[in-house]
Amino acid sequence: MSTARAERLPSSDPAAVRCRIGARGISRSFGPVRANVDVTLTVRPGTVHAVVGENGAGKSTLMRMLYGLDQPDAGSVIVDDEEILLSSPRAAIERRIGLVQQELAIIPELSLLENLVLGQEPGAFGRIDWKAAQKRAEELSRSVGVAIDWSASAARTSIAIQQQVEILRLVYRGADVLILDEPTAVLAPVQADELLGLLSSLRDAGRTVIFISHKLDEVLSIADHITVLRSGRTITELEPGEIDRAGLAAFIVGDSEMPNRPTTRGNPGTVVLHADAISAVDDRGVTRLDGVAFEARAGEILGIAAVAGNGQEELAEVLIGIRASSSGELSLDGQGIGRMSVRARRRAGLAYVSADRKQEGLALGLSLADNSIASPALKELARAGWLRPSAVAARVDAVLGRAAVRFGSASDPASSLSGGNQQRVVLGRETIGKPRVLIASQPTRGVDVKGIGYIHELLRRARDEGAAVVLFSEELDELRELSDRILVLHRGRVAGVLDGESSRAEIGELMLGHTSHASHDRPVEGEDA
Amino acid sequence: MTGTATQGAPVAPEPTEASTPVGRRAATALGRVARHAGVPVVLALAIGALVLAVTGNDPLEVYGRLLSEAFGTPSRINATLAATTPILFTAVAAAFAYRAGAFTVGVEGSFVLGGLTASVIGSQMADVPPVLSVLLPLLGATIAGGLVAVIPGILRAWWGVDEVVTTLMFNFIVTGLAGWSVQSFFLAKGQANSSTEYVTENAELPALAPPGQTSIGLVIGLVILIAYAVWMRYSTLGFEFRAVGSAPRFSAAQGLRVKTVLATALIGAGVIGGIGGGSHALGLVHRYSEGFSANFGFTGIAIALLARFNPIGILVGAILFGALNSAGATVQLFIDLPVQIIDVLQGTVMIFAVAVFTLPKLRRLRAARAEWKRP
Repeated sequence: MSTARAERLPSSDPAAVRCRIGARGISRSFGPVRANVDVTLTVRPGTVHAVVGENGAGKSTLMRMLYGLDQPDAGSVIVDDEEILLSSPRAAIERRIGLVQQELAIIPELSLLENLVLGQEPGAFGRIDWKAAQKRAEELSRSVGVAIDWSASAARTSIAIQQQVEILRLVYRGADVLILDEPTAVLAPVQADELLGLLSSLRDAGRTVIFISHKLDEVLSIADHITVLRSGRTITELEPGEIDRAGLAAFIVGDSEMPNRPTTRGNPGTVVLHADAISAVDDRGVTRLDGVAFEARAGEILGIAAVAGNGQEELAEVLIGIRASSSGELSLDGQGIGRMSVRARRRAGLAYVSADRKQEGLALGLSLADNSIASPALKELARAGWLRPSAVAARVDAVLGRAAVRFGSASDPASSLSGGNQQRVVLGRETIGKPRVLIASQPTRGVDVKGIGYIHELLRRARDEGAAVVLFSEELDELRELSDRILVLHRGRVAGVLDGESSRAEIGELMLGHTSHASHDRPVEGEDA
Repeated sequence: MTGTATQGAPVAPEPTEASTPVGRRAATALGRVARHAGVPVVLALAIGALVLAVTGNDPLEVYGRLLSEAFGTPSRINATLAATTPILFTAVAAAFAYRAGAFTVGVEGSFVLGGLTASVIGSQMADVPPVLSVLLPLLGATIAGGLVAVIPGILRAWWGVDEVVTTLMFNFIVTGLAGWSVQSFFLAKGQANSSTEYVTENAELPALAPPGQTSIGLVIGLVILIAYAVWMRYSTLGFEFRAVGSAPRFSAAQGLRVKTVLATALIGAGVIGGIGGGSHALGLVHRYSEGFSANFGFTGIAIALLARFNPIGILVGAILFGALNSAGATVQLFIDLPVQIIDVLQGTVMIFAVAVFTLPKLRRLRAARAEWKRP
């Protein structure tokens, strides 16, 4: 019944309005932390505007205020050249502003179509006109040039498709300004390109897009304007033509703080971890790993590359023991560990950096001290079942010091740290015991440029101390920079093992299943379930 | 909406200078507990006042009378502490399991079977030397209380069977078994109602201040409360309890002893509940009879939630509910007041305790759903 609203064309005349949405002198503090200081932002209608900066630079705080989730202490939000108070998201939605958060609000039990129209279904008197809904959905996806199977169940579609649906839902509800908080952080390269294409067509249709990203290449390729935030302040506004990647990175971290990145390679020694014909299924019983075999050597970084959903998550979980393998052999220094518990594997010398930092990597509600000591090695810090406070304090210092974590007090909750610092706690804890094998899954996901440098340094250090590092990453450049060898997974099988210095194109071919004598498979989107 | 926004803000370190870290930590924890626990209690009193006013009573008069009946004289304080003792045990028992994220409702069953076991053993202590005559029944109560929770504990830890369902079912099983075994085996001679023989005099827990009813059981309860506090903070397994309770997936990925923790949490809660039942039998009622537990196990749940598992909060909560019980029993001697009003008050505190407990979660949910709202 309210489709009329959704179909309404953008009302603001691009020529008349200079600033579709923005900020004028906004400041916002949380206790002693000044998240935003006199921030100014001008987003012109019909443009894609990127907001970049380190973790903790104040990007998300600013976005929350632009969407009415939070209000400035000083200064104000600008909508259509006018200073206004956005008291709630409802007020923002009335001004046709929509926000896509990192955690998608997709209901897995419903179909994509149901997710799209939920809350604003076409029809009358409580009856939903599904034909009209389907028609609207198809028009919508056609107008922005994406192919979506609207009848598919949301649970069975990839995160990339879910994200597109979430964006289209905002459009369906009449949003003309779309704010996206790190939309490509969880996407594989191919999927990210697709998303950037979608954002471009939304802009071409006259809509305004603001997006936060740590990936400078995509920012430079798609944005019309770039605003750099550092320590809560606006540093500069640029256009992509004016600057290159290195220059932009320098603006983000300030002065000459760019971490020095040695591109040293490892010094592979003896085989430590040996996997043979590993197969496993996911939670829904779909086969995700099909006879994977590889070996990892002491003192090397073995990169694992794959398009999301091709089995890399399951492989990481099988290696540490969170997920059981359905068949295959796994051995550490020649000793079978495939039937061992996580606890026994860790005792034998495995360590694990989870891709899910918030749920598996850390206990966000517990203190930094608690997070630093949580492992089977806890026993070393205890006598007769009681923790020795001096031993605990020494271990906490060692872990936080090793990873150069910036923190206030070790009794602060882990949730009080920024994402990059949280990940350092994880890496410090996982490498303090000199593991034989370090399984690191997406260790730099959602971490800013400078933070990434530190994490790479910690990974190299673990390698140099003799660990076999198995690095899972969706960032090809990260894999190429760090890995001695890169193993490519495609549909749960090993598509090939390449030298660490292979080109993006060579790796990308294997990721898409284009082996020399294989037929041209399409990349898995998760719909093969 | 601003409330949710500030919730996400970084926590500022407390600017107290002179106090030690431990002292400061205790102070902030206490302040938090007071804030969380104060709200439900005040809300419940307000609703109680409304009910009293509607039923034609003067709320202030009733509350004043309740206060004086609970704490007015040394003998009334003694009565309040006697009523506090059983729920102190059940509250610590519940908190012990909840810290590990195991939501047991089976403390009631452990309390009942512990009480029956202590009564039966206690009635046979005539020729047993002192001290041992108390320890043997208490040991029996401890084992019995733990046994009640063994099957739910194993089912939860190794098979992931929901502990709420199993412990609730075991309450029914245990209460039925207890009633049947009293009727069949332990019925006191010449008793019309179904109760066991009184325990022998040397098996009774001595009163702290005769003729008041508060016994050494209160001291046992306090010792267990302190042990609970120290163990949770400083023992290895206590650390793992907190980790598993606060972040189960993290604990599994770190290789912590998740199964051991869950089984220990449930069985340990049963053990503490069993000792509570034993102390109640030996210290106050001196036998087991039908209606031995006035839902002490469930009152303990409310106290544990109200206190957020904080030891001092548990003590204060147990005294609060103890006061309501002891004063509620006698206040009708002075005021024409339906005894059910006390149940209403207790029930309201419990509802608000649980409601406030889940409030932060609801707020987050609401924030997440804000964008779903129809424009």
